[in-house]
Amino acid sequence: MGRAAGRPLLYLVVAAVAVVMVLPFYWMVVTAVSPASDILAFPPKWIPSRLTLEHFTVAFAKAPWLTYYQNSLVVAVVSVGSSLLFGLFAGYAFAVYRFPLQNVFFLLILSTLMVPVQVTSVALYIMLARIEWVDSYLGILAPNFASAFGVFMIRQGIKAIPLDLVEAARMDGAGEVRIVLTIIAPLIKTTLATVAMILFLGSWNDFLWPVIVINSQELRTLPVGIALFKDPYGSINYGPLMAATVIASGPMLLAYAVSQKFMIRGIALTGLKG
Amino acid sequence: MGLARLRSRHLLHAYLFIAPVVLLFGVFRVVPAVQTLLYSVYKVELLRGRFTFIGLDNFRDLAAEPAFAQAMVNTLVYVAAIVPVSAALGLALAVLFNTRFPLRELFKAVYFAPMVTSTAAAAMVWWWLYNPQFGLFNVLLRLAHLPDQPWLMSSRTALTAIIIFSVWKSLGYNMVIYLAGLQSIPQQFYEAAMIDGAGPIRRFWRISVPLLAPTTTFLVIYNGILAFQVFDQVFVLTGGGPANATNVVVLDLYRQAFERYNFGYAAAEAAVLFALILGITAVQYLYSKRFEVAY
Repeated sequence: MGRAAGRPLLYLVVAAVAVVMVLPFYWMVVTAVSPASDILAFPPKWIPSRLTLEHFTVAFAKAPWLTYYQNSLVVAVVSVGSSLLFGLFAGYAFAVYRFPLQNVFFLLILSTLMVPVQVTSVALYIMLARIEWVDSYLGILAPNFASAFGVFMIRQGIKAIPLDLVEAARMDGAGEVRIVLTIIAPLIKTTLATVAMILFLGSWNDFLWPVIVINSQELRTLPVGIALFKDPYGSINYGPLMAATVIASGPMLLAYAVSQKFMIRGIALTGLKG
Repeated sequence: MGLARLRSRHLLHAYLFIAPVVLLFGVFRVVPAVQTLLYSVYKVELLRGRFTFIGLDNFRDLAAEPAFAQAMVNTLVYVAAIVPVSAALGLALAVLFNTRFPLRELFKAVYFAPMVTSTAAAAMVWWWLYNPQFGLFNVLLRLAHLPDQPWLMSSRTALTAIIIFSVWKSLGYNMVIYLAGLQSIPQQFYEAAMIDGAGPIRRFWRISVPLLAPTTTFLVIYNGILAFQVFDQVFVLTGGGPANATNVVVLDLYRQAFERYNFGYAAAEAAVLFALILGITAVQYLYSKRFEVAY
């Protein structure tokens, strides 16, 4: 097959797959803004006969979406913030210092990557039930205050910096804490941004652990809120359901639309979850 | 300042700096991991605060329970389907994207979009698409004069429907990783093969595929480990039904522990899951010694 003949075919395949990838998103939005009669029409109404926000009104009346946003945001910001802060200091220690049991501690931290919350959830839940952290922000946050992935990435980032910079700062009398915060952190800000993005995305979309540890409706995060929004036995109204899905997934899709290059590169180079 | 004093001060700093991470991981990750393994040989009654050692009874119960066997088989089928299918499709698309064409970056972003969407929300959309009466998939089949499919409603098709969703969700990731692998293959290899008269298909099988072996290994391990832990989409799409046809290990664990409070039994399931993940990691370790290439 020559180049000239292959071109249109390649384009056709790429475009066809793109249609498949986009179709669920498109149908989600169309269902969310179409009047009820359009949603069940045959043949399907690809373009709404008129735009309506009534499904959004219903969705907001049935569940506290702003509270879910707030919960997701608090959990993501606190876990990303503490993971970055603790990761910065631990990453610095592992990259710059030599100390006894260094490798043991480093492997201990990395080994947690191999044991997902799926495996630890039973005992973790029992432990948190004892200290009364179940059904609270602290409960969702407990396994997410620090990130092994973050420590690893930050250590790699710091290792790439010439140590002379640290030595020079020490000569000037800067303390170690100040060196980490004012010299090291700005130098690895690309790494920090990538780690922050991946941890934020992981926290924002996390479902299993929050659904385990949260019982109260007012503490649900967005994924838990959307998953428990549909009542499997009640009458199902697809308009409000899709409006709810737009509410739940919209902000992240918008963030992706404006920063897709950064997000794709970050996720591809590092693997997703921490 | 003397060198010895400097060193001991740094020792103090080192331990202080790693202390938060080590403590948090010790308390919230390592201890629960060990404890879960421990609970698998206990009968756990949380409300009474009673823990009774019962040896391997939980594992015996597991082995005797048809629902667990079914969950195990479903999980293995899911893993065995998702790993090769997403790798193969990802590779095929990466080859297409490894040429220059207009709007390439836009298409790449579109393919990748499901990856950044929450699985719970995306699965909810697919739940609507899979609706047997009004869902878009059956509507499209009707437009094409093809028979309706029961999708999530039949134990024959439900697991396949979940697998299709998961392929859609992870396809962009697989493609992007393979694309990075393809772009790191030196162009001279292809040029030399072209001079030798090798056609595009031959070049693909003789150059691209072997040189992508480390990428393939990474994706198989990564997708494999994630697939063993599949939960979100099953929870939303089918809840394990119909008649356990899509029940998977983590969903069964979730139900046993957090709906029925059979913590010991669930801990035994977690131990099995852990052994599976450990198994894959061991395979990865052995393999990574064979392919000492990374990107």
